[in-house]
Amino acid sequence: MDRSKGEALMSELKTTFKMIKRDLVSLAGLVIVISFIVIGLIAPYILTKPNDAWGLAYHVKEAYKPPSTYHLFGTDEFGRDMFNRVLLGTRFSLLISVSVVGLALLIGIPIGLIGGYIGGKMGTSLMRVTDMFLAFPPLLLAIVLAATLGRGLANTIIALAIAWWPWYSRLIFVQVNSIKSSPYIDAAKVMGLSKFAIMFRHVLPNALTPVTVQAALDMGSAILEAAGLSFLGIGVKPPTPEWGLLVSLGWQSINRAWWISFFPGLAIVIVVLGFNLLADGIREAMDPRLRKAVLMKGV
Amino acid sequence: MPVSKEYLLKRIILLVVVIFGVLIITFTITRVIPAHPELLWAGPHATPEEIAKAREELHLNDNIVIQLYYYLVEFFKGDWGVSWRTRTPVLAGVLSALPATLELVIVAFMIAILTGIPLGIIAAVRRGGLADQTIRILTVLGASVPVFWLALITQLVFSSWLHLLPAAYRVDASVALTTGFHPITGFYLLDSLIEGNLAVFVNASEHIILPAFILSLYPMSLSSRMTRALMNEVLNEFYIRSALAWGLPRRLVIYKYALKNAIAPVIASLGLSFGYTIVGAYLIEIIFVWPGIGYYTAMSLLSFDYPAITGSIVFVALFYTTINLVVDLVHAWIDPRVKL
Repeated sequence: MDRSKGEALMSELKTTFKMIKRDLVSLAGLVIVISFIVIGLIAPYILTKPNDAWGLAYHVKEAYKPPSTYHLFGTDEFGRDMFNRVLLGTRFSLLISVSVVGLALLIGIPIGLIGGYIGGKMGTSLMRVTDMFLAFPPLLLAIVLAATLGRGLANTIIALAIAWWPWYSRLIFVQVNSIKSSPYIDAAKVMGLSKFAIMFRHVLPNALTPVTVQAALDMGSAILEAAGLSFLGIGVKPPTPEWGLLVSLGWQSINRAWWISFFPGLAIVIVVLGFNLLADGIREAMDPRLRKAVLMKGV
Repeated sequence: MPVSKEYLLKRIILLVVVIFGVLIITFTITRVIPAHPELLWAGPHATPEEIAKAREELHLNDNIVIQLYYYLVEFFKGDWGVSWRTRTPVLAGVLSALPATLELVIVAFMIAILTGIPLGIIAAVRRGGLADQTIRILTVLGASVPVFWLALITQLVFSSWLHLLPAAYRVDASVALTTGFHPITGFYLLDSLIEGNLAVFVNASEHIILPAFILSLYPMSLSSRMTRALMNEVLNEFYIRSALAWGLPRRLVIYKYALKNAIAPVIASLGLSFGYTIVGAYLIEIIFVWPGIGYYTAMSLLSFDYPAITGSIVFVALFYTTINLVVDLVHAWIDPRVKL
């Protein structure tokens, strides 16, 4: 990308950030998302009871203790500290969401790019396959795949990514199609650049930004769906402290110890809310009418 | 009618392709991936003869293309196999579970439309104000809460702790039996009204409130967000601004002219989320022991009941694609701006 384009992008991002800063609600979303990422990265190193968190310890005498200052979120049926379990769960949710979205992008981007820019028989048939996947209820596809592949962290990620990629492939396709006919692509053609050089140096970078932003914001939905699969008993395996699984494990004793299910679920709500508020804020900030008003006010 | 013949043909071809895609996926799952599908088919205590018979029934002695052929033929003949769990035909099992799910989803959509659209209008009219911000946070929250968790928590609070609402099933067996309730259509709310059985109607309504409310959260926030966005767009159009400039009452302009133009896409997107919500009902049905398709599928998943798993999944996929096609066509029919 040349310098002026880079500068334009920077000022674009700056305006977006300015608008987010102005809006307390989306700022809260941003803070939640950043905390989630930081906690997810450092979680294993700040655990006070690592054996409880990883599900290796059993303290039968401590079972079903309600929340207290010592056990902030109470304990489960094996006397394991729920606060530590939920804290470590942050890492698994981060891992799942990043991998699902990353994997889906890895499949979806090339397919959308080929379908949109190269076209031809291969491009058309790739887009038909995409349409077919899009016509299938996504959650159902993930359920079928997860049930077939069997429980486990990797299988859950694969099942969700396979249900997810067609959305990105479609998005890239639409982007590429609108970029394809821009004057600067024509200029590159006239200058004699090869098809592949144009595709990778000019089309892809410009199509990528909106899709990656969308993908980053989809991480919340990935967490939600992975938790749903775990709750159905076809997601990650115990004793992995994934939040959806923790809620599911607390289900049988919910009348005796509500906190086992309550806190992991609350963690899901907070993180997904963070992603969605941020997404909402960005969408609002992208509204050209509002953007103009802010720029004119110079806030 | 702004639906072109080519478009209709294209969509119908896509529908057929999707149906075949689904069937091939389920065929692969049941007949190819398990190492010995005949063992699964014959059940855990089968004799060698029964296993040999199962191999024959599944056409496992033939090559894979012929197996697929038999699978497709049996599917279109309506022979979807027998569930190992209930020992009844899968197609009949799925069809008898359908009204329960549809009733739940329809009530959820009624709640969603009656709350979501007014909230969206208020937010659009008061854009940037306190009401807008509150509605915004509430609707985003509605789309962020894991339904299974909310179902567990509300069940705990409203039935175990407060004893206000029942925790499970569609109707109390005692009420249904003592009043001689006989389902006709399988939609209990409708059936009880037809039979004039008020006791069952009240009882069934109490049972549906919690699951339907939780299920309504997603379509509610969707319709509210959509209404707000579209109303904002329409309120900026010249014909609305000139109507206001002419001094027409604001209320009239908003509710008569603006809303009319903003509502069609909202209804269309709600229609498209109908199929999605049926799948979303899975987790809720499990928690509230609601005997619909989700419950049927989940029980099949738990008992590795392959014919029932594939049957219910194929059915929901068919239902979903058909609904989406119908919604798109109806949308084009009622909204002349949509060209398909």
